[in-house]
This record gives sequence, C-alpha cells and structure tokens, in this order.
Amino acid sequence: MSELERTLLRRLRDRDERAFRELIESHRDRVYNLTYRMLGSRSEAEDLAQEVFITVFKTIETFREESKFSTWLYRVTVNHCKNRIKYLARRHDRERDELDETSRETNGAAGAPRRHVPPDRALEGAQLEQLLQDAIAKLDDDHRVVVVLRDVEDLSIEEICEITGLPDGTVKSRLHRARLALRKRLQRHV
Amino acid sequence: MSEPIPPPAPGAAGEDPDDAIAVALSDYLDGALPAAARAEVERKIAGDPAWQRAHAELTETREVLSGLRKAAAPSSFADGVATAIHRRSAGRFFARRALGDRVPFGVVLALALAGIAVIAYVLWSSPTGSLKVDRETAAPHGSAAIAPP
Repeated sequence: MSELERTLLRRLRDRDERAFRELIESHRDRVYNLTYRMLGSRSEAEDLAQEVFITVFKTIETFREESKFSTWLYRVTVNHCKNRIKYLARRHDRERDELDETSRETNGAAGAPRRHVPPDRALEGAQLEQLLQDAIAKLDDDHRVVVVLRDVEDLSIEEICEITGLPDGTVKSRLHRARLALRKRLQRHV
Repeated sequence: MSEPIPPPAPGAAGEDPDDAIAVALSDYLDGALPAAARAEVERKIAGDPAWQRAHAELTETREVLSGLRKAAAPSSFADGVATAIHRRSAGRFFARRALGDRVPFGVVLALALAGIAVIAYVLWSSPTGSLKVDRETAAPHGSAAIAPP
C-alpha cells in the first residue's frame, strides 16, 4: 500500500469529508462498472454503487489493511451485488406471480410475453453489447461474479480469490463453466 | 432471473467432450498451466480442428467481454452519495457549511490582515488620504503659542 493511500485511509477514518470525496472520484467508475455489469441496469447500478460508498464511509474502520484497499472495495461491492441480485430475483418472482394472476383473471391465459430474440446474423456494437449483457445476466450470481471480475474487470485469479474468499480451484471451475455458458449462448447469435 | 449452470460430471467438465477442451483452454488462456501442459495444449491447438475451433471461440468470447465499454458513473454521483450520507446521518456529515467552517481560521485571519494592510497603504499613499499627516496645517498651532516675547 502506498504512503498516499495510507494517508487517505487515515483521513477517511478521521471522517474527513474531503478525503471521502477524493475516494469517490478515484473509484466511482470502477465500482459503477462492476455494479452495472452485475445488474444490467443503469439505475440499479447507480443506486447500488452509492450504497457501496455509504457502506465504505460507515465501515472504513473494519478495513485492516491486510489486503489492498481496492480488493476490500471490490469485496464490499460484490457482496452488495449478490444481495441485490437476490432481492431483485425475489421481487421479479413476486411481480411475475402477480402478473400471472392478473393474466389468468383477464385473459384466461398465463405467462409473461417472451423477449424477441433477434435472428441469427452478424451482430455489432450496441447489439452485441446488449446480447452479451443479457447473457451475463442469465448466469447465476456465483458464476457471474467470477467472469465479470476476470474477463471484464481484468483481475487476476488471485485477486478474485481474495475478493470472493473462494479457493483457487473453485474460482477456476466457475470461470470455465461461466465462459462455456456464455460461449454457447453467443454461438446461437453471432 | 438466472439459470443455474449444471455442475460438471465427476472427473470431467461435463458430458460434452467440448467442455473438457474448454476447461483446458480456459486454464491455458489464463496462464494457469505449467509449461508441459501448456505445450501440450499448444500442440493440440495446432493439430486438432476441434481444439482450434474451441480456442478461437473461447478467445473471441474473452475478447468480447474485455471489449465491453467501461460504464462511467454519472457526474452527479459524488453529490448523490454525500446527500444520502447527510440524510441518513441526520445532518451530522456532509452538511452545507459557512465559510468559516470550510476554510481554516488561520487562512481567514491572514486574508483579513492582508486586506487591512492593502487598504491602509492605499490611504497612506494617496495625496488626500485620511491617514496622511498634513504638516502645513498641523505645525502653526503649537509654534505660535510658544513664540518669544
């Protein structure tokens, strides 16, 4: 850890508001990008990234400097993401149940409308990004975390182990399976 | 919302033989293989079309993922965090503050003294300045009173 980072941490522990703003400015895009890739929605990502920094402000004393600050920040972010994904899944299920109920009552037919899948053709730019984002969103959260940290955020396997608290072998096997699932999903479209 | 990925069969990455290739290639692309295993994978990529295809697909998948645009937080992000902390801490943190709270007292004092010095100098150097001693009008009062008989 650099001397600059130590000084910043000391100021953060002293509740120096200017130091906290400096911290946000230097890490906000990294945190936001991770929350966005994990959740797939800009408004959810912004809300969650804010929660991450609020947690950092509240719990900075618990950071023991045994790892890099960025690793600790990623850990806080990943934990928030997993909790939010679970919450959104529960809410989604509840809403779908309510929709199904309404559907049955009004039309006598159940089921939400299916998303239109574009025909097989070369995809570029925004389309490809959307397709990929959808494919990432379909992974379960354990696999989503490792593939986003490794292939989107470009972190090393060791860093991912530190962030997730998982052993090396588990991270690698989840990474294989996530890549495989993404590859199969993309093969249908690209 | 998400689809669980089935666990691999014991001793293999899955039932599909392509999965076993993908596992080896995934390790290879992550630089996680020892030299001998790495050389073996390279030999298979060079000589086996199935490995070639899987390598190309996996490389492409990784490139597409790493090529995803970095999403940037909105410019008002820091203010949003500060406002949320201010609200949740019942105004204890990130309150709007008066100048005296935001700027150290020493700086305010130094600026005030410097200002006074500048004003005093301007008044002193001006020909009609109120701090200038008017010798012509001040001198005769005293001298007239002690004039010798």
